[in-house]
Amino acid sequence: MSFETAQLNELHWLMEMLHNIDVGLVVLDRDYKIQIFNGFMENHSGLFPREVKDKVLFDLFDEIHQEWFVRKAESVFLLKNKAFTIWEQRPYLFKFDSYRPVTGSSDFMYQNTTFIPLLSATGEVSHLCLIVYDVTDNAVHKQSLEQVNKELSALNQIDGMTRLFNRMHWETCLKAEYKRCSRSHHLSSLVMVDIDHFKKVNDDYGHIAGDEVIRHLSALIQLHARETDSAGRYGGEEFAILLPDTALKSAYVFAERLRRTVNDSIVKYNDIEIKYSISVGVAEIDANMKSHESWIESADSALYQSKSKGRNCISLYKNET
Amino acid sequence: MSTKLLICDDSNMARKQVARSLPDGWDVELSFANDGVEGVEAIKEGKGDVLLLDLNMPRMDGYQVLEAIVAQNLPTLTIVISGDIQPEAHKRVTALGAIGFIQKPVSKEKLTEVLTSYGLFTLPDTVPSIEPVVEKKTTTIKVDNSPPDVGLPSDLRDCYQEIANVAMGRAGDLLARLLNVFVELPIPNVNFIEVSELRMALSDIENTESTSGVCQGFISAGISGEALLILNDSSFKDIASLMNYTENLDQNTELELLMDMSNVLIGACLKGVSEQLDIQFSQGQPVVLGQHRKISELIENNASKWKKTLAIEISYSIENYPIKCDLLLLFTEKSMKTLNNKLSYLIDS
Repeated sequence: MSFETAQLNELHWLMEMLHNIDVGLVVLDRDYKIQIFNGFMENHSGLFPREVKDKVLFDLFDEIHQEWFVRKAESVFLLKNKAFTIWEQRPYLFKFDSYRPVTGSSDFMYQNTTFIPLLSATGEVSHLCLIVYDVTDNAVHKQSLEQVNKELSALNQIDGMTRLFNRMHWETCLKAEYKRCSRSHHLSSLVMVDIDHFKKVNDDYGHIAGDEVIRHLSALIQLHARETDSAGRYGGEEFAILLPDTALKSAYVFAERLRRTVNDSIVKYNDIEIKYSISVGVAEIDANMKSHESWIESADSALYQSKSKGRNCISLYKNET
Repeated sequence: MSTKLLICDDSNMARKQVARSLPDGWDVELSFANDGVEGVEAIKEGKGDVLLLDLNMPRMDGYQVLEAIVAQNLPTLTIVISGDIQPEAHKRVTALGAIGFIQKPVSKEKLTEVLTSYGLFTLPDTVPSIEPVVEKKTTTIKVDNSPPDVGLPSDLRDCYQEIANVAMGRAGDLLARLLNVFVELPIPNVNFIEVSELRMALSDIENTESTSGVCQGFISAGISGEALLILNDSSFKDIASLMNYTENLDQNTELELLMDMSNVLIGACLKGVSEQLDIQFSQGQPVVLGQHRKISELIENNASKWKKTLAIEISYSIENYPIKCDLLLLFTEKSMKTLNNKLSYLIDS
């Protein structure tokens, strides 16, 4: 085989590879007219190279945002620099169907593209090569991972049985609120709630009935709390509600409404009707509280007062100093 | 009579490169200065009939040297040899009295051409003298022939710094043209660090500010790494208006801007590095590290993969705008051998 034949062969093979490679290749001239269109592009668009030759890209593909594309391309022409676009910017350049119509979970093909400047003999950028990569699998995986992470982090903050915040997340909210208040001197209040004689409910009707009572109270708390309030399950039958920008008096109104509603309610479990009540302690933040823990302690001590006063009532924490 | 020639550059490698690029057979008495302060001193001592001046230097930069020359009416002709190749930089030094502007890395042809065009050097076509060449060899150039070990001895650090300097200038020039502004070029930071120290290396970015970042892998035979572009979120508004983005600034437009910036800066910087080392990089597809995050969150995922990295940090800022962006080129520990070999070749050649 002569040297020339060998070179011709190599060129031929190279062309064959470019035509068959599973990556889209397009060459555009300075006026965005298509010069080269490889097999990948042909098969996915359904357009033959002779149909697209010398046609303006934007006339053939309506989905391409012309202004966006030109902005990217002109910087390549001007700066003789490669440019990359990723699916997070725009999911695709060419609206092609997904490569796996049966088992794939996306209807279209997510694409990353690379713009490569092609230099003429004079050193100017005369043409532009577009490389189109199918990144559907990556994109779908990343999106579902993000979705799952979001759900997980939400789950991580929620108490499974009551759908209120769990103690850890609730304390994070309290810490943040404590910091915010100490900075801005806002008035916020903390309400601690405990179910009276809960052990007796469990003993008399069983734990499942007890759970029903806990769920009932959680639902009421959820109902009475505003969107900005943070309600959490603090312990077994103990709940805490953080009321931002709420003075002691208003917090008392909230607590009293909750106490009365509970007192008037009947929980039905199978054929059993259960009546229960709650004791409440309320503490407004004040400058003497050196940490968010002392805020909790204050509300707790008010709650203890309610218990010793005979339960089913509300006590307000008063700063003795 | 021999010409008194002063080369003023903070990089040892750059000084050597310039000295090597002097026209053959030019009768000169060569002196060197490490920064602007030394440079002005040397001119005052009469060591610089002709001054070859770098712009980016610590203590006193090239612009300040030019100002001092004008203010004190010092007798010297200045040719600027600069990694900063923005047209505006050229304009500014010309306004300050520099007679020539040569872009780094300097070549013998270009330097000869400029020197000839100002009549500072004429081809010795009558009597080719050998003496000056001999004399040149007796100048204070000390070529360090010690084998490059894996690590970062000061002479290698100097080389990396100079390479980064030139690459940074290329990227800065493109950025300036894209945004139509003057880009303030810092002195690049070069360090061989533990990846865990990366965060500390990002000294220019305040921890309190939220940032957005893109990374892109690059590889060439024996050399690989990642480029990170980190932009302060407060910069987006100005970049958008400079780039004539009329859309409302939402997370999506910001991503567009981030990608535009990274295309230009990472691409040009890598090109600058690869041209000097005579290699070619393949660039992977860029990946968004995150938007509106703390800098530590942006880079935490990368931290476990490498132990040590050669980090080149370049903090671009834009004149008159509060835009701040950091470009980091991180080379893997494995790349050091090839890199150091390439560099020692550059020093010795």
